[in-house]
Amino acid sequence: MNTAATTTTDEHADSHDHGHHDSRLAHHFDSHQQQFDTGKLGIWLFLVTEILFFSGLFGFYAVYRSLHPEVFLYASQFLDTVLGAANTVVLLFSSLTMAWGVRCAQLGQTRGLLVCLVITLACAAIFLGVKSFEYTEKAHHGLLWAGMYQSPEHHAEAAVPAAAGAEATAGHDAGDHAHASADDHSDESLFEKTKHTLSYMTTVLWAVIVLAGIAFAVFIKKPGKLTQATIAGCFLISAVGMVLGTYASIGYHHFGHAEKPTDQEILMAETVPAEYAAQKEKVPEPELAGTFFSVYFCMTGLHAIHIIGGMIAISWLIVRTAHGAFTTYYFGAVDFVGLYWHLVDLIWIYLFPLLYLIN
Amino acid sequence: MATVVDSSNPKSNFPIQYRELNYLNCSQGWKSWFFTLDHKRIGIMYLIGVTSAFFMGGLFAMLLRTELLSPSRILMGADSYNQMFTLHGAIMTFLVIIPGVPAAVGNIILPVMLGAKDVAFPRMNLGSFYLWMFGAVFFLAAIVLGGLDTGWTFYTPYSITTSTAVITALFGVFILGFSSIFTGLNFIVTIHTMRPPGMTWFKMPLFLWALYATALIQILATPVLGITGLLLIVERAFHIGIFDPALGGDPVLFQHFFWFYSHPAVYVMILPAMGVVSEVIAVHSRKHIFGYRFIAYSSIAIAVFGFLVWGHHMFVSGQSKVVAVVFSAITFSVSIPSAIKVFNWLATMYKGSIHFTTAMCYGLSFIFIFTIGGLTGLFLATLATDVHLHDTYFVVAHFHYVMMGSSLVGLFAAVHHWWPKISGRMFNEFWGRIACLGVFMGFNLTFFPQFLLGTRGMPRRYYTYLPEFQNLHILSTMGAYLLGISSTLMVGTLIYSVYRGKKAPANPWGGASLEWMCSSPPPHNNFDHPPLAGDPYVMESVVYNEEIEGYVPAECQGAGTKSVTASGDKEV
Repeated sequence: MNTAATTTTDEHADSHDHGHHDSRLAHHFDSHQQQFDTGKLGIWLFLVTEILFFSGLFGFYAVYRSLHPEVFLYASQFLDTVLGAANTVVLLFSSLTMAWGVRCAQLGQTRGLLVCLVITLACAAIFLGVKSFEYTEKAHHGLLWAGMYQSPEHHAEAAVPAAAGAEATAGHDAGDHAHASADDHSDESLFEKTKHTLSYMTTVLWAVIVLAGIAFAVFIKKPGKLTQATIAGCFLISAVGMVLGTYASIGYHHFGHAEKPTDQEILMAETVPAEYAAQKEKVPEPELAGTFFSVYFCMTGLHAIHIIGGMIAISWLIVRTAHGAFTTYYFGAVDFVGLYWHLVDLIWIYLFPLLYLIN
Repeated sequence: MATVVDSSNPKSNFPIQYRELNYLNCSQGWKSWFFTLDHKRIGIMYLIGVTSAFFMGGLFAMLLRTELLSPSRILMGADSYNQMFTLHGAIMTFLVIIPGVPAAVGNIILPVMLGAKDVAFPRMNLGSFYLWMFGAVFFLAAIVLGGLDTGWTFYTPYSITTSTAVITALFGVFILGFSSIFTGLNFIVTIHTMRPPGMTWFKMPLFLWALYATALIQILATPVLGITGLLLIVERAFHIGIFDPALGGDPVLFQHFFWFYSHPAVYVMILPAMGVVSEVIAVHSRKHIFGYRFIAYSSIAIAVFGFLVWGHHMFVSGQSKVVAVVFSAITFSVSIPSAIKVFNWLATMYKGSIHFTTAMCYGLSFIFIFTIGGLTGLFLATLATDVHLHDTYFVVAHFHYVMMGSSLVGLFAAVHHWWPKISGRMFNEFWGRIACLGVFMGFNLTFFPQFLLGTRGMPRRYYTYLPEFQNLHILSTMGAYLLGISSTLMVGTLIYSVYRGKKAPANPWGGASLEWMCSSPPPHNNFDHPPLAGDPYVMESVVYNEEIEGYVPAECQGAGTKSVTASGDKEV
């Protein structure tokens, strides 16, 4: 097609055309440096749009926290600080391995790059595993967004009528608690219940692991199946990471709390979060407490979607790395995904204190 | 410097592939269009899409105006009327005006103006187009799935409670928003990193400055619309209580979020049109643009101010008085950079050699209409007057003067100015000018009576009205019909030229910017090598050549050669 523009004065067309023979240089760029600078500016602008995309949610947070400060004070106690902190550490570590991976790419160390990317992907999966446990637990306790929110005071009422009944506020009538059938399962422990609700997800995950493992084993042995093998490998890593994260959280919840809970705590733990049950002096529940969980699910949900997007991008990098696509002068994609990953990490760094550390 | 345009003699000795191949015919089949990465083909697809959406939105407008011929029912009931004006507004805003100049014309012209082979991210560019398509499909789906009756602004709490297809339409808005973001991102990066040697920031054509300012708004404001739409979807689907007062939410917060995007979006619509007019006025007045730096800076100033005035949509929504005064003051200050532009255009024409080509006629219409639209904006920025005029036809007339009369007329000017470059054909100037006259007359006849209706208290979005308003409404409807017929004539003239038009020379109007240096239509890669850019407004650098009925670089004229290269090289 270039012939369309080529002329009889071809003596001008000299050194510039060599770029067309380099498959790593797109046809409309003059040099690798220009191509890299273009991508770099592009990803930074994209990150600006991402920040503004989240800014709506931060605005939502700011407005509602100033309108209903008591809601945030009350409801944030239902978030598990230890799990949140653990996730923060996991994400920070993944940022480290990502940055390390970029360095490896710059130095042309393909194996190092591969290892770093795999660890980053695994950390992302662990984060999601922990997050899914937290979501499941919130859903189990009815601590959902405003439209679905069920007051924990009702559970407390149902479980320990004498203790919590006095503190129940007047606005809550019995018709509200569709969730108050707690007595039916009162002999199940929290661990059993959580496991029950998690069982569906776990089954799916195990299926993914097994299938991905089989695919990996099949593909890796056949020459020319590198792409499928690496994709299967990425699935395997993600699934294992998520299961690891979920079970670590379950384990922490089961064993990590007080060794010998009081009878009342055991009773209450079946219907309300353990931390809440353990409190002696309870903050009275304010109106519209569900607003906090609207904010919580919107913000962490959108963040989790970004984590998933990042995992897809990292998997794509792993596949390309396995093919040896990156060299010392062509590593832009790794750099750009890395920047995206740091931003996703940074947003969590803000979300964690804003949501978990209010008290 | 290698692109040879053999416009002089179709029977020259060049082998046929050197003479005939261009981006339109270099490859064939639907795949070569639907999967193309060529910015020009993507721009053409946008242009077709935008034109179709324009006629669809226009059809709704005609139905609305027909209904308003009389206070009683003519075509539709009140509910259908609500749906009609909502769809008219939503389609015209999101599918026509916002992508009109930047995505359609900008896509075709920007890289050529930069002497680049393509935009920075050609795949993302194609992706933007498909996002636009999906967004349009969602809008169509919303029409089928129960319509939409919230107004294009989706104000809560009504948008939470209405039973129409709000979620579908909002998904459409969300997707269209990302299409717009990616286009803007592409343009900014392209302008930053792919300028040719010699083109410093202040040697860029002003259209590029305008597109740059537009793109800044697109990437900084549109994400907020995205998250707002998403939150409203979640609110409707799950009742999270962010905008729903029943769950503790704040409906006015929606207005803040919405206008934080949608006011800057108004400048996404007008700024590129201003850039077009800067080009058109200079080229067709055969004179260097007056006050280049002022026009360039004023584009950026408008973009910056645009972010600080959203509250003027909410003077009666219950915001604090201090805030209202601040928003009012900043709104007034937007008129400064706007007026700078208008005065510079007028000064450019002064003692120029004005050619009343169709593009220039649209450019002059723009200046006239925009001046009225801009000045009536000051009435609305005045707090006390706004209380009286808020939600009346005065507002409707004002924003149609700016969004339709300015933005769309700017788009028409752009299309006529660059049509020879885009299609390689000359359209019929006579019919083009007739259509322009019709658009100008029809537009003013439609919307000037609405200023009068508004000041007399006719509220907007009403299906019926008091009998004393009928005369003005009939005038307005007649104008709308004229406008509809004229725009059809305009599109007809252009389409006719594709089949029967004369072959266009490389530089029919005598522009000095780079897009006129490559052939019409440009070859697939525009330029084999980055051309050397000079001042884009030195009109003396090109002179008219009667033989090819177009302009050629001054140094080539009179050399006695029949083949002239538009890029400045003489054929050897």
